[in-house]
Amino acid sequence: MSGGHWRVVFAHVLLIGALAGCATPAPAPSPAPNHSYVTLLPSPDGSVGVVEVQGTRGTQRLTRAHDAALLDGSQAPAPVDAARFKRDFADAIAARPELPLHFMLYFETGGTQLTPESMELLPRIVDRAAHRRTVDLSVIGHSDTVGKTDLNDNLSLRRAQTVAEIIKGMGLKVDALVVESHGKRNLLVPTPDGTPEPRNRRVEVTIR
Amino acid sequence: MKMRLFALITLLAAALSALADEAPIGYVKTLTGSATITTGSNKVAAQLGTPLFQGSQLKTGPKSSLGVTFKDDTVMSFGADTVLTVDEYLYAPSQGKLKLGSSLAKGSMNYVSGVIAKLQPDAVSVKTPTGTIGVRGTQFVVKVDDTAP
Repeated sequence: MSGGHWRVVFAHVLLIGALAGCATPAPAPSPAPNHSYVTLLPSPDGSVGVVEVQGTRGTQRLTRAHDAALLDGSQAPAPVDAARFKRDFADAIAARPELPLHFMLYFETGGTQLTPESMELLPRIVDRAAHRRTVDLSVIGHSDTVGKTDLNDNLSLRRAQTVAEIIKGMGLKVDALVVESHGKRNLLVPTPDGTPEPRNRRVEVTIR
Repeated sequence: MKMRLFALITLLAAALSALADEAPIGYVKTLTGSATITTGSNKVAAQLGTPLFQGSQLKTGPKSSLGVTFKDDTVMSFGADTVLTVDEYLYAPSQGKLKLGSSLAKGSMNYVSGVIAKLQPDAVSVKTPTGTIGVRGTQFVVKVDDTAP
């Protein structure tokens, strides 16, 4: 599998692309001088972001899914060849871990008592986590803006600890567990100080 | 006395920040074949659950692949014969400290960006021998062929 062979294949693909180019607006670039390139893909949620390449020979901006650009920035983005894409990336794509899952748990005012709905959610969280081959769990407590910062830090930490204890008590084996408090510094719903807001009194559980 | 107290506090602060640097930033989630994780002078064979740290170098063998998930939900996976280094990783959203700088020396990678790219897109980059990739909240694949001219 010499590098030269693939270069010829790529050149042919680009040539065909150029010949068929009457139908497509994007002109195909000239043959690739090397094999280092990036290809933009849709995010798992279906949206398409942007990738920028700042190379030794120029800067390119990729905005369309399945467009590719050389890493040296020498050529405008163009659609990637499907066969080549599969050959280069099938194993890396197959190795992609399951994406993290997020759950929000809510509390009654002032203490560590979960709302009934959130209590019911806990077995589902444990079940989803148990299906993973390795589990690292983060449990982060948040409060609303009623009360002083240190009191809120303390309360949201105790809430997070309560959730972590319940989850452990349900028999879930975790490889790593992080329990943290963000107090009122990381509001889900921005409010002025001193505002009771049930949606901010939460513990966020992330399964990775 | 005051000087001593100050020195003690400085020492404590240094020790705390050293501790913070030693916290895992992610874990190995998938593996086929063989791969290694090297952090400083410590080299280990990757297994499911092996922790990653700031500065870790990830290396996959021939016919091998590896997948890792970071604590900001960035997900990276690698094909065979790949070398990636996590140069800089900062994830403290409530303090506004966010950074994910990595280098791909060779091989192939699938990259799903996480919270750092969402909160501060210019803090995320992937360096390669011929160019640097900036990430604005998305998924991409990148291949570095170190045998090419």
